[in-house]
Amino acid sequence: MRRGWVVLLLGLVMSAAPAGAQARRIVVYSALPDLETSLINREFTRRTGIAVEALSVAAAGTLAARIRAERERPRADIFVGGSVDFHAPLAREGLLLPYRSPVAREARVSPAFLDRDGYWHGWYLGILSIIVNTERWDREMAPRRVPKPATWDDLLRPEFRGQFIMPSPVTTGAGYIFVAGQIFRLGEDRAWAYLRELNRNVAQYTPTAPGTITLLERGEAVVAMMWAHEAIGARRLRFQPLEVIVPPDTAFEIGAVSIIRGGPNPEGARAYVDFLMTRTPQDINARYGFRYPVRADVEPPAGAPPFESVKFVRYDREWAIANAERVRERWTREIGR
Amino acid sequence: MGRLGVVAAGVEARRQLADPGLALAFVGGAAALGLFVLYPTVRVLLYPTVHDYLTIPQSVRWIQAARNSLVSTVLSTSTAVLVGLAFAFAITRPDVPGRRFFRTVALLPLFAPPFMVAFSYILLFGRQGLVTRHLLGLDVNIFGLHGLWLAQTVAFFPLAMLVIAGVLESVSPSLEHAARNLGADEWQVARTVTLALARPGIAGAALVVAISVLADFGNAVVIAGGWPLLATEAWFRLEGMADLRGASLVVAMLVVPTTGLFLVERYWVGRRRYTTITGRGGRLERPPTYPPLKWAAFSVCVLTSVLVVLIYLGVVAGAFTAVWGRDWSITLDHWRLASDRVTSLWASLRVAAGAGLVTAVAGILLAFLTSRPVPLRRALDFLAVLPGALPGVFVGVGFVLAFNRPPLELVGTPWVLVLALAFWHLPLGYQAAVAQLQQIDRSIEEAASNLGARGLHLLRDVYLPLLARAFVEGFTVSFVRAVTNVSIAVFLVSPGNVVATFAILNMIGNGIWGGAAALTTMLLLVTFAALAAARLAAGRALRPVPAG
Repeated sequence: MRRGWVVLLLGLVMSAAPAGAQARRIVVYSALPDLETSLINREFTRRTGIAVEALSVAAAGTLAARIRAERERPRADIFVGGSVDFHAPLAREGLLLPYRSPVAREARVSPAFLDRDGYWHGWYLGILSIIVNTERWDREMAPRRVPKPATWDDLLRPEFRGQFIMPSPVTTGAGYIFVAGQIFRLGEDRAWAYLRELNRNVAQYTPTAPGTITLLERGEAVVAMMWAHEAIGARRLRFQPLEVIVPPDTAFEIGAVSIIRGGPNPEGARAYVDFLMTRTPQDINARYGFRYPVRADVEPPAGAPPFESVKFVRYDREWAIANAERVRERWTREIGR
Repeated sequence: MGRLGVVAAGVEARRQLADPGLALAFVGGAAALGLFVLYPTVRVLLYPTVHDYLTIPQSVRWIQAARNSLVSTVLSTSTAVLVGLAFAFAITRPDVPGRRFFRTVALLPLFAPPFMVAFSYILLFGRQGLVTRHLLGLDVNIFGLHGLWLAQTVAFFPLAMLVIAGVLESVSPSLEHAARNLGADEWQVARTVTLALARPGIAGAALVVAISVLADFGNAVVIAGGWPLLATEAWFRLEGMADLRGASLVVAMLVVPTTGLFLVERYWVGRRRYTTITGRGGRLERPPTYPPLKWAAFSVCVLTSVLVVLIYLGVVAGAFTAVWGRDWSITLDHWRLASDRVTSLWASLRVAAGAGLVTAVAGILLAFLTSRPVPLRRALDFLAVLPGALPGVFVGVGFVLAFNRPPLELVGTPWVLVLALAFWHLPLGYQAAVAQLQQIDRSIEEAASNLGARGLHLLRDVYLPLLARAFVEGFTVSFVRAVTNVSIAVFLVSPGNVVATFAILNMIGNGIWGGAAALTTMLLLVTFAALAAARLAAGRALRPVPAG
């Protein structure tokens, strides 16, 4: 009688276990918002006949941690979205499968956007910018004739004390890329002096990157440092009073896609990477996510300055990724927030 | 003599296990705790190397986070327990006005996904807050310790209330009558009878609240601002840096104070026995409440109720407002957006119902086991409380590390989420059952025992009817916390099994606040409906129990 129960329970557990992966199906972990993810996946299925099961989480770090945790039996085929800063360490730990998409070669995508060893393909770009809540600006800063900040150094103005927010360099990719960008702009010593001075103005380092946009929308600060595309999206889709200012010597992120080693369907995963390097998905991402395409033949996002017109700092991505731990450690020691 | 005592205890333990039913329950309980509490915990703790552990004292940020966690735990736990006590007192006294209202209101924060409490308060009390700025014209910064203190007090006092009320309800009125007849004044009655008997409840409540506060990141992540805490630090490590090693390290730091809390609670409560004669069903009327106490509790309840109701007003208003702060016109657009994700609501209900059942059954079974001299009693007791000390992220990662490979390959199925949530909330079911058990007079059990009841029969015939209340409470708390959970869901949700909070968090992450508010409102409605149905069913089960 009792044994009957045990067998029944075991049977229940077994029946709930996943059936073997179907060949015509891939599983995608996406750090892009639901909207872009589902539009892109629908198009992929239409073209290839391969069904997509997507899990879309607004945080690339969470997905990367999930991929790490699942290392013994990977559940997903594709990790898409999020800066290469999240993909490169996974590659270093042997969790990604190298691949060189012929589509990227045909489209003449700049090698700067592709991993030398083929572990990740950059397929969109985002630039760091200064963002102003114009409603509060017009009410509080304009009457005092404060000029709008146009450069990174303008952020040090005493008028912005307690009115500036940015994502935390310790816990977000955006914050870290900003700090690394300052190091490339000023050299390490002067960069730390700059960051210490900026720290006096910072009301809050938000623990997640979208948190900065949320707080700025809510008027908890007047000025912020954040991805331009997030602010443009907030303005155009949610009618928030945000103004985007792209200062000289800014840095950019490479949004990547990579194939998870040991995933159920590597063949489908390669087809997905090829697909992302084509025009349609990059166009969807520019249209709805306001992120720049890596292909020259795709229209850049509306309302964003042309990528070629932006003056970028000489950003050494390999140095930035290799030194991330040291820089963050120094950050917590010197800034302590 | 001492030696003899030990031998006698050993004999007694063996005698207990000679009962096949009890032995089976023991093996099942121990196996479940070992498999679903101990094993995932060990997997995470052994993830970092010894060298990694040695770097902890050098990290300024983590030391600071540890200090901050301590401060916020002390502050929030004190206020949450005080408010919980006031509520428990008010709802168990028939002569406190509005007690039914207070009971309902006090349960509300449990339904709000953690980030919603803090988010609503930012909308209402922030720099651009509806109350602070638009009504009062103030410029308030709610981010930081004070905002966190407020949010955590409101978020966690219901846990304290549930545990304390369970005990207060079973304090027999006859004892108060007796004390009064013996010449005690009202204050003495309250102090030496009512509150004294509530002490295990208060201690249990403080323990549950303190470890919940320590492990809470839902509120902290939204409202603590630049104030690092251990629980959020663990999460940020993953969220921002995908640093599983760092996260497990921080979480290991959390386990230390929790163990301390656990021992303190055991020592404080364990010193005295608290038994009243509930099972005998004293059906006396409760004597009138001492007015100063009554009105003090009443005013605390009113003030807190306002704060609670505001959370909901914020969310519901957000669901109908075109663009918060800009365009106050009423719209149904957000509801269209939310209804695209309606399947996630059913997934939430299924998962939460499963988790609630497992928590309630396992909680009672384990409370029953640890109330008798079975082997490894203290270890079982510790494991049953331990999950409350673990942040959800930790449990999520632990389950992935533990169950993503044979023999028990659960990841990718809905079961893994059910089990993770059930055992994460086990302390709630367990503590409720323990508090009830301590109120049951041994004499009842002895009487049944003399009449021939043994082992599991004791549990079924004597304890189960008396524990129906603990079951309902364990199920309710676990169910609602499972419905509102995010931290574990983030890790264990699989494509095709997305739960509602996960969808909501994604919408918030992408700035779709209106849609998130609408989906939250839907989730609340569905949850309330499900719970009302469960309560209705449970009402039948509860009726035969002497309410005391």
